[in-house]
Amino acid sequence: MFVSDFRKEFYEVLQSQRVLLFVASDVDALCACKILQALFQCDHVQYTLVPVSGWQELETAFLEHKEQFHYFILINCGANVDLLDILQPDEDTVFFVCDTHRPVNVVNVYNDAQIKLLIKQDDDLEVPAYDDIFRDEEEDKEHSGNESDEGSEPSEKRARVEEEIAEQTLKRRKRRDWEARRRDILFDYEQYEYHGTSSAMVMFDLAWMMSKDLSDMLWWAIVGLTDQWVQDKITQMKYVTDVGILQRHVSRHNHRHEDEEHALSVDCMRISFEYDLRLALYQHWSLHDSLCNTCYTAARFKLWSLHGQKRLQEFLADVGLPLKQVKQKFQSMDVSLKENLREMIEESANKFGMKDMRIQTFSIHFGFKHKFLASDVVFATMSLMESPEKDGSGTDNFIQALDSLSRNQVSGLRPVMEPCACHVSGGTWTSCIAAWSSPSSSCVPHSRPSPAASAPTSSFPRGPSSTAPSWRARQTLCCSPGQLP
Amino acid sequence: MDAAEVEFLAEKELVTIIPNFSLDKIYLIGGDLGPFNPGLPVQVPLWLAINLKQRQKCRLLPPEWMDVEKLEEIRDHERKEETFTPMPSLHYMELTKLLLNHASDNIPKADEIRTLIKDVWDTRIAKLRVSADSFVRQQEAHAKLDNLTLMEINTSGAFLTQALNHMYKLRTNLQPSDSSQSQDL
Repeated sequence: MFVSDFRKEFYEVLQSQRVLLFVASDVDALCACKILQALFQCDHVQYTLVPVSGWQELETAFLEHKEQFHYFILINCGANVDLLDILQPDEDTVFFVCDTHRPVNVVNVYNDAQIKLLIKQDDDLEVPAYDDIFRDEEEDKEHSGNESDEGSEPSEKRARVEEEIAEQTLKRRKRRDWEARRRDILFDYEQYEYHGTSSAMVMFDLAWMMSKDLSDMLWWAIVGLTDQWVQDKITQMKYVTDVGILQRHVSRHNHRHEDEEHALSVDCMRISFEYDLRLALYQHWSLHDSLCNTCYTAARFKLWSLHGQKRLQEFLADVGLPLKQVKQKFQSMDVSLKENLREMIEESANKFGMKDMRIQTFSIHFGFKHKFLASDVVFATMSLMESPEKDGSGTDNFIQALDSLSRNQVSGLRPVMEPCACHVSGGTWTSCIAAWSSPSSSCVPHSRPSPAASAPTSSFPRGPSSTAPSWRARQTLCCSPGQLP
Repeated sequence: MDAAEVEFLAEKELVTIIPNFSLDKIYLIGGDLGPFNPGLPVQVPLWLAINLKQRQKCRLLPPEWMDVEKLEEIRDHERKEETFTPMPSLHYMELTKLLLNHASDNIPKADEIRTLIKDVWDTRIAKLRVSADSFVRQQEAHAKLDNLTLMEINTSGAFLTQALNHMYKLRTNLQPSDSSQSQDL
């Protein structure tokens, strides 16, 4: 069932309960989880956080915890399968599902008691109508039962029997037609998988409804949306529409602070709208590395071939950037070159067949040093989550990535140095990005996500028998209400 | 005493907040905290103010003295005088730190205030060092320092007393060695 009033039917129900959060392992889910955690901490709601990365883990974790909890929240998992069938919960368990996977399974939509979907209904869902899919099976049997009881005289009975037979064949034919139509409708509904609005944006809306939205939450919503776009889960149109919505929030937040005559402290976080290049992490690497390692440019130039590499050189010559400058770190490039960089690159990119070199995005900066684009944060968090540490477990990576998202508060100015497997300090995204100062360095062979190879498949496909990546140990975290951010 | 303990004591200071929730009067051991109504300012201890701010349930108002012009006056006054001048609050350092860390968006010109308070602190600590130095040199038995706050005392107090103890031990050991004779080999 779709939840219409998020605040009353979802949040206020949970205020005095203990809940269990199942969070899938992608950046959008992470951001939604951060927003929800911040809200829970404000209102002292007890929750347990279980990161899951596949159906098997979800089932195991559910079996472990099902006696202790009545309310379960699933983030970015569970909408596209029949939850009641897979998890077999008790009668009084309630699931709140906030998932971007579409199409939403029809059983989840039409179950009123146990499954509540935190999904906006103005998404293009096109759920088939109830009567087209479900039908009371008992009606037919009752009618045939009643009719055989009546009728006393043999002649009337024979006539009646003939009538009955005619009616029954008619009914059977209607039933077969209905079933064929049902199969068609369900086939059309379920043939394509796609993604809907980012869960982080849904959670941010909830926070906004309760007037508890902070700039932090707005930033997490932005990161969640950018993650969907970076991994090619949504179309360009949808991305632009959602960016428009978030831009309104950003200007509202900025105006709220500009009302005072004095500017904000430098340490406060500021979000601004940018129309920037879509090269991955170009402000932290060198421009050349970034051009070679972004999906978009690597594919357009066909950089795996010699011809492609020559084209790249031509492109750089066309923009007017000397090779020496382009290959050194972006921050040390000549200021005169950096001034009109974006426009120059866009012009040349148009000539080389790349029309969408610039996209609308957001950037955050706080303090004097830290300025990040939303896509930078997405790549950094993805790599933290996926880094195959030998001694860490999947959950540790998840928690580390979760922590790194909150470093943009005051504590972000105190970089936490944690040695990662390659003896390079990594832990916050500042130090993580600094660690990949050159993507070809032998120091960091595994923990960099190659943006050129990111596959857009999610770890919760509809077939429940698919194998999930094997994480080793799994732990759960219990957060008591006494913890403050 | 730890600096953390001093900060804990400083959290009892009253500050003004503007809550966004409503609650009846609460009766605590330390005193009563007035009824909370959204939009109306109320005085609460600092620990409660910081907690409510972190839960986004209130807005903090800076204390009266936390203002750029006033602090500039205080700083200039402190620099002119040789002795310590009275501070606007006995716990100015801790208050500033807590308020600026947790609620810098509610305090205008937070950066300048931070710099000014740091200037005042540096001046006072320098005066403390100078006076401790002259105290030791002239081997005074008694010194009187007015208008010091607990945090400043705590910063230099432990070291000063231990150093004076050491020096006392060294001095008292000097006398018998005058009369003792060195051994000839």
